[in-house]
This record gives sequence, C-alpha cells and structure tokens, in this order.
Amino acid sequence: MNFYTTYFLIAIGLFAFVALFTLFGVYAERKLSAFIQDRLGPTEVGKFGMLQTLADIMKLIQKELIIPAAADKVLFLMAPVIIFVAVYLGFAALPWAPGLVPANVNIGLYYILAIISIETLGILMAGWGSNNKYSILGAMRSAAQIISYEIPAGFALISVVMIAQTLNLQDISMQQGILSPEKIKFLGLWDVSVNGGILAWNIFRAPHLIIAFVIYFIASLAESNRAPFDIPEAESELVAGFHTEFTGLQFALVFLAEYAMMYLVSMVGVILFLGAWNTPLPNIGAVHLASWTTGIAWGIFWIATKTLALIAVQMWIRWTLPRLRVDQLMNLCWKVLTPLAFLCMLISGVWRLWLM
Amino acid sequence: MSLTQLLFYIMAFIVVASALFVASSKNLVRSIFMFFITLFGLAGLYVLALADFVAVTQIVIYVGGVLVLILFAFMLSGKETLNVLQQQKSKFISLSKLPAILLAALFFVVMVNVILKTDADNVYWVKMVTGANRQIKPNDIMTDNIGINLMTRYLLPFEAISILLMMALVGAAHLARKERGTV
Repeated sequence: MNFYTTYFLIAIGLFAFVALFTLFGVYAERKLSAFIQDRLGPTEVGKFGMLQTLADIMKLIQKELIIPAAADKVLFLMAPVIIFVAVYLGFAALPWAPGLVPANVNIGLYYILAIISIETLGILMAGWGSNNKYSILGAMRSAAQIISYEIPAGFALISVVMIAQTLNLQDISMQQGILSPEKIKFLGLWDVSVNGGILAWNIFRAPHLIIAFVIYFIASLAESNRAPFDIPEAESELVAGFHTEFTGLQFALVFLAEYAMMYLVSMVGVILFLGAWNTPLPNIGAVHLASWTTGIAWGIFWIATKTLALIAVQMWIRWTLPRLRVDQLMNLCWKVLTPLAFLCMLISGVWRLWLM
Repeated sequence: MSLTQLLFYIMAFIVVASALFVASSKNLVRSIFMFFITLFGLAGLYVLALADFVAVTQIVIYVGGVLVLILFAFMLSGKETLNVLQQQKSKFISLSKLPAILLAALFFVVMVNVILKTDADNVYWVKMVTGANRQIKPNDIMTDNIGINLMTRYLLPFEAISILLMMALVGAAHLARKERGTV
C-alpha cells in the first residue's frame, strides 16, 4: 500500500506546487508589468505587496458562483475543471532531477503533447456552455490558434527527438550533461562528454536547434493563449473571451490553468533544449564545476531557475509587444514557422546521420 | 479480483455507458463531449493492454484532432440548423430507422459469432508467443518497434496513406482558395 501513498503524495505535492507557483507568478507578473510600464504595482498588502495575490484568491473563493440562466449547466461547470486537469496531468511526466521524476514514461514527450491538446476541448466546452457570443468567439479563436500552432511546435519537438532518439524525457535530460550514457559533441565537432555544462545542452549539440527552440517558444506562447497571441481573450473586442461568464472559484481554476500551462510549456522547452536539470557550468581541467553542481537538490534548483527565467521572458514579451491580428497570426504560423520547423527537422536528420 | 481486472471493468463500464449516452442523448453538443469520455476510456483500456503508444495516439488524433474539428463544424453552423437536427421524431419504431436497425443487427450477429467462435484460452498466436517467451513486458519500449516496422514491412501501406492524406490536403487548399476575379 506504501506504493500508492507515495503516488498520492506526489500528486498532492505537484498540485501544491502549481498553486504556489500561480500565486507568486501572478505577483511577479504584476510587479514586472509595473516595472515595464513605470508604475509601482501592488504595494499595500504585506511587505512590497507580496501578499496581494493571497488576498485576491481569498476574495475569489468567497465570491458567489453565478451560472447564467441560459447556460448549459453541466458543460459550464465541467469546463474549468477539464481545462485545469488537462494541464495538471501533463506535470506527471516532467523530470525534476537525476532520478527524480513522478512518472518515468517511455513516451513522456508524446504524452505531454497529447494531454495538452485536451485543453482545447475544455476551452470549447467553456465557450459553448456559457451561451454567450463573446465566449464562443473567444473559444473558436483559441481552438483555431492552438490547433494551428501545434504543428510548428510539434515539428520543432520532433527535430529534438531525432537528435536524442528517445521520447523519454528523463533520457533526453540525461543526454545533455556529464551523466550522459553516450558521447556528446559540441556543435558536432568537439567531444564534451566529460566537460558537460552549457556546452552539452541540446541547442549547442546541434546549433540548428536554436531555431527550433525559438519556433517552439513562439508556438508555446500561442498555445498558452498569452500576448502577443491573446486574441482569444482580447479585452478590447471580446470582454474576456472564453472565460467571460466565469466567477469565483471557476475563474480561479481558469487562471490556475493558464499559469500552470506557462510553467509546463517552459519546462518542456527547458528539458528539450536548455539542458533540463543539468548545470550550465562545465568541468574545466581540474576545476570540476559540473560534477560539484550535479545532484538531486542542484537538479531541482537548475531546472526551476531556468524555467522561471523562461517564464520571465514570456511575461516580458507579453508587456512589450502588441497583439497580433488574426491574419498576421495565421501568416506567421503557416508561412514562417511551419516551413522553418520542417527545415529544422530535415537538418536534424542529416545531422544525426553524418555528424553524430 | 486483482487491481488490473478491477480497472478493466471500471473502464469498460465507463466506455460502454458513455457510448450509450452518446447514441441516445438528444443534446448533440453534450453527446460530442460525452464521446470524449468514451475515447478517453478506450485509451485507458489500451494502456491496460500495454499499448501505451496506441493510447496516446488515440488521444492526439481523436481528442485533439477529430473531436475538436467536429465541434468546430458544430459551432460554425447556425442555431436553426442544429434545432432541426435535434428535433427528430421521437417515435421508437419508424420506417426511416430500418436501414440503421438492419445494419446494427447484422453487425451484432457478426460480433456474437466472433465471441462464440474464439476459444479465448488457447488462441494459436498467443500460445506461440508465450511459448517462445516473447510477450511484451510493461517496461518494454514499443516505439522503436513501431518505427522499424513502418519503415520496412509496412512501407507500402504507409506511403499509400501519406499520398492519400496529401491528396486530401491539396483538395482542401483548392476548395478554400478564392477564385481569381471574384474578390
């Protein structure tokens, strides 16, 4: 039975982490946006306003649950749960450190891709269930956007998988540092299996993966419905898009899902391209920086730092760039990102055959 | 009863019950969303049969692709069309249902026949594999196997399907294109 207790504990721990991250993520986003727009952001609640989001969630929990009279009650109530659970399930397969992964699945990456696509269904459910024209327009836009951007994202990921030759996220992580079971070559030329560090990361193992990473990053912004790809919730046109009608806890769940999604896509990006839980410091001669900074605690530290840095970039982009129009959005996806992603995949194949 | 069996029965029940709901519900949108549960339950059954790749593919293609597209078509069509679709005659027996009943009955006969004729305890190929001790174990990696088979033994069907999909893509692009001069 111990076996099952551990499973439950891990699941609860992951949920607690997601909730905590959302609390501080919202705070960080507000402070960051305030900095970018030359404001102060939250200052009143707690030191530097740090308890602001805690107060916000208290308010949300106390709010009345309003179901619109014309809404489809079942779908309306189920939608936020499905949206959140879809993202939350994805966390099961993410590796945190050497030997520390909730579920070491052989097809981890594929599983995450599949689970994320369920979110679309939740969004459509929310849009239809609310019986509100803004909601349904937002849901349709969101679904169209997510489906389109899954293609370049998928091909960018395939180009990594072709280099790594496995779908297991833990194995992919292992290959990008000193613990690698196979030989790693920096830029395909210089054997860095003992040096490790930043030189062994996937984007430096095969430099065309830098392009793949940028493609994946742009597509991941679109998949988590964040600016500049936020036409699904465009405040100026659609009130709030698919979550217009949600109040209280349901709204909190949608919000939780958005931040969890940001963390999930960033972490997948870090695992595949930026060395996962491996240290950026290489071994140089007698100074074994990489060996000193590899371990379970270090692993968690590195992967969390890298992921949070990537999320900070996401927030920075959100408060810097204006929203894309729908035709610009589709042009970018189909005419720029998709062909580039195909090219990356092709180069990956050649790279794997001739240079590795 | 072991946990695996229990899980199998739970999932089988979910699949059958939700499929029945899909077929009988008057509310089309709800039956589409219920279909999602059917597909998810089926994916669970695949996992129990150690076909995890098939399970995930099922979710990617049916949930992420087909279901979303069905919903799309649904939401793009007007409310009136949908109302006509939903207000079907509720008579249980009618002439217009005859072909469907016939088809279902024939299919049922086939299925019953299959179940009666297979001797589940000693199927030839299962015996062969267990005899040679080559069963799939829970930790085996199946993707390599699938990839190699697709590229060697099943190359022709694979290519034929890709040409078919290509034709569908070209056709869709052609239909969606604006004709010159009519802008």
